[in-house]
Amino acid sequence: MRIPKFEYFRPLSIEDVCSILYKYKTEAKILAGGTDLFVKMKKKEILPRVIVSLNGIQKLDRIEWDEVKGLKIGPLVTHDALVNHPIIRGKFDFLSEACFKIGTHQVRNMGTLVGNLCNASPSSDASAPLLVLETKLKLVHLYGEKTIPLEEFFIGPFQTVLDPEAIVAEVQIPNPPPYTAGSYQYLHKASSVGETLVGAAVLLTMDPRDSTCKEARISLSSVAPTPIRAESAERALKGKRLEEKIIKEAAQMASDEIQPRSRPLYRREMSRVLVERTILQAMEKIR
Amino acid sequence: MKKQLIELRVNGEPHELAVEPQRTLLEVLREDLGLTGAKEACGTGECGACTVLMDGKSILSCLTLAIEAQGKKITTIEGLAKNGELHPLQKAFIRHGAIQCGYCTSGMILNAKAILDENPRPSRDEILKGLEGNLCRCTGYNKILEAVMAASIGEE
Repeated sequence: MRIPKFEYFRPLSIEDVCSILYKYKTEAKILAGGTDLFVKMKKKEILPRVIVSLNGIQKLDRIEWDEVKGLKIGPLVTHDALVNHPIIRGKFDFLSEACFKIGTHQVRNMGTLVGNLCNASPSSDASAPLLVLETKLKLVHLYGEKTIPLEEFFIGPFQTVLDPEAIVAEVQIPNPPPYTAGSYQYLHKASSVGETLVGAAVLLTMDPRDSTCKEARISLSSVAPTPIRAESAERALKGKRLEEKIIKEAAQMASDEIQPRSRPLYRREMSRVLVERTILQAMEKIR
Repeated sequence: MKKQLIELRVNGEPHELAVEPQRTLLEVLREDLGLTGAKEACGTGECGACTVLMDGKSILSCLTLAIEAQGKKITTIEGLAKNGELHPLQKAFIRHGAIQCGYCTSGMILNAKAILDENPRPSRDEILKGLEGNLCRCTGYNKILEAVMAASIGEE
């Protein structure tokens, strides 16, 4: 299978990327890892006239961490880099685990987190952990930049709010507060790519004085047109002592919030099971 | 689209080539350089038959543009033997009967090399997880696993 012809640009700065995108608009596509882009082009699902490679720009493969500002991930950071980064393995362990689930060894060596988000697959593994971590994306356009919550980025299956003239220049993840832990659990198809059928992430902050749940965030992927937050389930946990009954109720509420497009019975039941498991695992980590 | 002059460093040798930007690294290795060890099977990144090493990492040459591989060190199966002697993984694959039709073998061995270079003593599960992106259509997975395990403890 051949890749259809295109005009190739390899700019040296984000500004130059934006100029090219501004000129060619929907006719241009950004190349980072290429693992989604070239598959779609070979299958002739998309036929961009212009490809803008980011690989000529220095420092886009950086992961930066700061005690105050948190984590910043550049657009060329691969899944493999996130799996192996000591800070992410330590402080954002469930994000690292989710990235380890993505694709295969070779795909993780090539594919980037930002590319995965821009592809906006409903079953994207990194999305659920990133949503509970209250991730923000920095979007850069020739005439300005803005930072938006990841929740506002996804609008439908394989659809985002990203302007064809703009680029996701950075992923920003705040540091979780003390007494906080997260968990990601998934079930996947038995196929060569092992697409996730249900993914659940939770981030819990406990109050050490009275062992109540100070903050709870729950997110699910592959069970709705976009990755979602299960907000009623979150409210059911907040301020409570996390006893078995409360956890089971919250898991049921999360399951009621999903909007599966296929296999609804399986997805509903497994959403409940996985949300319960993630809550228990996060509690175990805080202890 | 106009051809562009690129330099590729493959198995330690520099090559100057004129390529169109849409050509993959796999196409250029096979058609321009005559290195046919890397295979095309699925063409969409699921089977791993096109796996080569780029700066030591296993990547899919069918989803990599040749033009983007400039300045990187590419290793193909043809570059593993040193002074006529096969690499320990190659010897292990032969000894353990881990080659049947051979179509997946170059990708299997190169990805296994990347796995062992990153983690010289992987567990059985770590090898299985690492090789999940390499499909063997003869289904000879057990022997492949045995060969990689043997190579990891210095046996051939």
